[in-house]
Amino acid sequence: MSEIIHEPLALNSSEVLELEGESVLLCNSGGSHFAIRNQCTHQNSPLAGGRVRNGFISCPLHGVRFDLSTGEPRGTLTRVPVKTYGVRDEDGMIVISN
Amino acid sequence: MSEKLSPGEARAPGHSYQEAIKKDASEPPASFLTESYEFLGDADIPYSNYTSKDYADAEFEKMWPKVWQMACREEHIAETGDYQVYDIGELSVIVTRTESMQIKAYYNACMHRGTALKSPGDNGFCESFRCPFHGWVYSLEGELIDLPEDWDFPHVKGDSHNLREVLVDTWGGFVFVNFDPNAEALSEYLGVLPEHFKDFNIDDRYIETHVCKRLPVNWKAAEEAFMEAYHVKETHAGGAEFSEPVTTYDVFPENVNRFIHTVGSLNPRMPKAPSQQELMQMLWGRRGPADGTCPVVPEGMTARDVYARVVQQQLGASYDQDFSGYSTAQTLDSIEYFLFPNLFIFPGLTLPMVYRFRPDKDDPDYSYFDLYFLRPKHPEKQPPPPPEPLMLDIEDSYTQSEGLGFLGAVYDQDTDNMAAQTRGFKTSAKSGQTLGNYQEVRARHLQQRVGDYLKK
Repeated sequence: MSEIIHEPLALNSSEVLELEGESVLLCNSGGSHFAIRNQCTHQNSPLAGGRVRNGFISCPLHGVRFDLSTGEPRGTLTRVPVKTYGVRDEDGMIVISN
Repeated sequence: MSEKLSPGEARAPGHSYQEAIKKDASEPPASFLTESYEFLGDADIPYSNYTSKDYADAEFEKMWPKVWQMACREEHIAETGDYQVYDIGELSVIVTRTESMQIKAYYNACMHRGTALKSPGDNGFCESFRCPFHGWVYSLEGELIDLPEDWDFPHVKGDSHNLREVLVDTWGGFVFVNFDPNAEALSEYLGVLPEHFKDFNIDDRYIETHVCKRLPVNWKAAEEAFMEAYHVKETHAGGAEFSEPVTTYDVFPENVNRFIHTVGSLNPRMPKAPSQQELMQMLWGRRGPADGTCPVVPEGMTARDVYARVVQQQLGASYDQDFSGYSTAQTLDSIEYFLFPNLFIFPGLTLPMVYRFRPDKDDPDYSYFDLYFLRPKHPEKQPPPPPEPLMLDIEDSYTQSEGLGFLGAVYDQDTDNMAAQTRGFKTSAKSGQTLGNYQEVRARHLQQRVGDYLKK
C-alpha cells in the first residue's frame, strides 16, 4: 500500500496527484475529500477540470457524472465505475491510499 | 337524497368544506372558499383508454407534444452549464442554464446524425454540449461552435445546424417545456393557478426529497388514484367508520382542477360529535410526537386551530422559520391542485408534495411517478442542493425513502390498488369505469382533456 499526504483543497475544487504511477484526482465536494482515478471510463479522457458538486464530478468531455464516494457512473454513456482510493484526515492533512 | 336533484347536485351529508373552514380562527385564502364544480357527464370511461396501445400511441402523437409539462425545478439548473434531461415517450429535451443565466431547452439530438447528446433523465454540468459520436460541439446557447473536419461539410452553413429549441417557460419555480412551437403562452395555459397560489410563494421552496417509482398501471389511472379522497376510508383507514374527509372538488378552465379536504375537523356524519379535546387527542394520537403531551384545547377554541399552531411551531423549529402567518387551512389541510396533463402541486404546509406522472413509452400498463417534497426556503440560508432521486421499482417500498416519513406506507397502499386495477381492466365483464359525479369529477376532467387533444 502506498500513501500520499496532501493539504486540504478549496471547496468544490480538485487537484491531480500521482500515486504509484497512477494519475489520481483529489476532490473536495462540499467539504468532504474524495480521490478517484483521473480517467473517465467512457472514452478514457482525464477527469481533471470537471466540475465537482454535491458528491459528483462531471467529466469535462461529455459530461458523464461519477459518484465520488463509490465511483459509480450516472446515465448510459458508460456502465463502468471509476476506481476510488481511500481518503482519511490526519491532523488536518489529507491522506490518500491505494 | 332528494329525487329532485339533478346529476352532480348531490353532496355528502353535513357541512361542506367551505362551511367547515369558515369556522377556523384564521381566515383562509379566498380561493379556498371558491366553489367551481361542474357536472361533466356520467358515462362510463372505457377501459381501453388505459389499456389500448393505439390509444397510448394517439396520446404520444397528438397530446404530449402539444401540452406544457414540467421538465424540472429551477434549482436543478441553478448555475450556468447545469442541465437536466426530460423525456416523454420518444421525445427528449435538454433544459439548461446559459452564460447569460437564461433557461433554454433543446431537442436532445445532435444535428449531425441524430445521436442523443445526453442520457435519458440525466442531469449534470457541462461547458458545452459535445456529441460523443463524432465530437460536434454546441455552446450552451445552442450554436454549433466546433465541427471536426469541417472541410467535408461545406453544406453546413450559418446557423443551419444549431440545436433546435423547444419552448420553455417558468412559473412557481417550475420549468415547463412545450414541443409545439405554436403553443399558447404558459401564462394562459396555467389558468387560475397563479392567482390561487399567490399566498403560497411556491417559487421560494426547495426540494427536500425526490423519489421516482415505476408504477404497474397506466399513467391516467395512476393520476386518478390521487384525484379523489373517496378512497381514503377504505384504502388508508381500513374502512373505519366516519373516516371520510370533508372535501371540495373543483374544476377550472381549461387545465386545472383540485381537491381540498380538511384535517382535524369534525366529521359531520358522526351520530355523537366528540368534544374538541377528544378530537385533539385523536389528532395527537395519529400525528403528534410520541414524547409530547397532548395540548389542552382552551374553551372557545377548536382542536383544529390549536393543532395548527402546534404544527407551525414544530415545523418552524425544524426549519428555523416562522410559519405563524399560515392560516389553519393552509397549515393542516390536504390541498391538491392538478395541472393537466401530469402535474400535482400541494402548496400546504404539512403536506408539501409535488407529483409528476409520465407514461411508459412502450407499454400502456406502466408509468413513472416522480414524487417530491418541497419545503419553504429559509429567508437567509442557502438551501441544500436538489437530492439525487431515489429510484424505486414496482416491488420496492416507498418506505425505503426516509424523507417520506409516515407517508411511505400510505403510498404503498395506493400502489397495491394500481396493480389490482390494471389486472381488473383486463378481466372485467363491463367495458369501463363508473365514476361518482362529484367525488370523481377530476378523473372525468382528465379524461375529457385527453379526449380534446385526441380529437384535434
